[in-house]
Amino acid sequence: MPHQRFPKVQILQMAPHEMRFILSETDTSVANTLRRIMIAEVPTLAIDLVEFHENSSVLNDEYIAHRLGLIPIRYQPVDSLKGGDCNGAFLPHRECVCYERCPRCSVEFELDVTFDDANTFRSEEELMAPLTITSKDLKSNNDTVAPAHFLSQDEQDESQDAGVAIVKIGPGQRLKLKAIARMGIAKEHSKWCPVAIATYRFWPNITINEEQIATLSMEQKQEIIDVCPDRILEIDNVTGSIKAHDDAWDMCTYTEDLQEFQQTMKKRKEDDDFVTVEASEDRFIFTVESTGVMDAEEIVMSGLRVLKDRLNFLAQEVENLKDM
Amino acid sequence: MNAPERTASFLLDEDSGEVKIVYSDDTKVTNAGTFRFNKEDHTIGNLFRMQLLRDPSVRFAGYLHPHPLVYYINLKIQTNNSTVAPVEVLSSAIEDLANETDHLITQFQEATDNWKRENDTEGQF
Repeated sequence: MPHQRFPKVQILQMAPHEMRFILSETDTSVANTLRRIMIAEVPTLAIDLVEFHENSSVLNDEYIAHRLGLIPIRYQPVDSLKGGDCNGAFLPHRECVCYERCPRCSVEFELDVTFDDANTFRSEEELMAPLTITSKDLKSNNDTVAPAHFLSQDEQDESQDAGVAIVKIGPGQRLKLKAIARMGIAKEHSKWCPVAIATYRFWPNITINEEQIATLSMEQKQEIIDVCPDRILEIDNVTGSIKAHDDAWDMCTYTEDLQEFQQTMKKRKEDDDFVTVEASEDRFIFTVESTGVMDAEEIVMSGLRVLKDRLNFLAQEVENLKDM
Repeated sequence: MNAPERTASFLLDEDSGEVKIVYSDDTKVTNAGTFRFNKEDHTIGNLFRMQLLRDPSVRFAGYLHPHPLVYYINLKIQTNNSTVAPVEVLSSAIEDLANETDHLITQFQEATDNWKRENDTEGQF
């Protein structure tokens, strides 16, 4: 208890597919744990088993099974518009008590597309063109689970296909299969990874040495400002000194140009720097982008819950050690 | 044929009697011991190490993940004096981290709720 920290969270931007937030007053190890858990240990659904009934397409069974596995499967609870956390709604299939599989630990998808049948519904000019089978053709046996699709109608209209392309078939060809989706984590296979991007950057602490700056001419100040490729500095119109740009934290990439250039400008080598930019050790800018399986905020939340459960489990194991 | 199980990196092999944590006292250094965490990696290793180092009664804390293809870490702890055992400092470090995670969950929930209230995102969420 005595060494606990009380971290803070500030949301910068939030959308269903992407979010940015600041995590502060904690250690890099905590930020990195959260990042690593979001990438590898947040459970999601993905197709894991495929039964082929007929496959006369140009791709072999294994190839198609692999492609099916990579389709993001979205769990959307009843009465919710959110891609939700499937942890709790489903059981990991290895923990389920059922003999082989059941609705609690798996979701079944049926797919049956025959070129000649589908062709009768197509317009005259594309009659004999190849037909693309997409994730839209997967029929789920669970209303809350479906392949993830476009965010909006606009995105859909710009796209070539209705969903994620699986294989193209021609006249006389047919694909019929049953796919079973299960819950898993990305440590087993990266198809279960819920994030496209999960990163953090260090907040830059920009310190301006007013005393040193005062010895510079206006031209020299401008030179310092211009040398930074990220343009994190600007002239303070009130005081005539240099100040950090309001969005400097977002633009800063810790280039060494400023640091090197300053050395040439100093009167004596041992003089203090005019401007120093240092990475903060307790403030992090997180970016989380979802693959579509669940909302970005749900991924962070689910990650934190996974961490909590793990720590409780380890605490119990350590207690058991004490008793021995 | 000799491929490892897909679950080898995260599920304990209970059939061969694998347990989560194995502790062994250090034979050469006093007040020190090594914890072997099975099926853990840098995620937990570095988290525990940094938390242990915040404790003034810990003289040394370090972890080792021997190879990317072995699924355990060794965490070595040495305490200042014989009144506190390595098991005890580890136990309190985990408790602190669990509390911190709890705090983080409420903070995150509050922050997202506030953000949604301030930014009128009706229909989006």
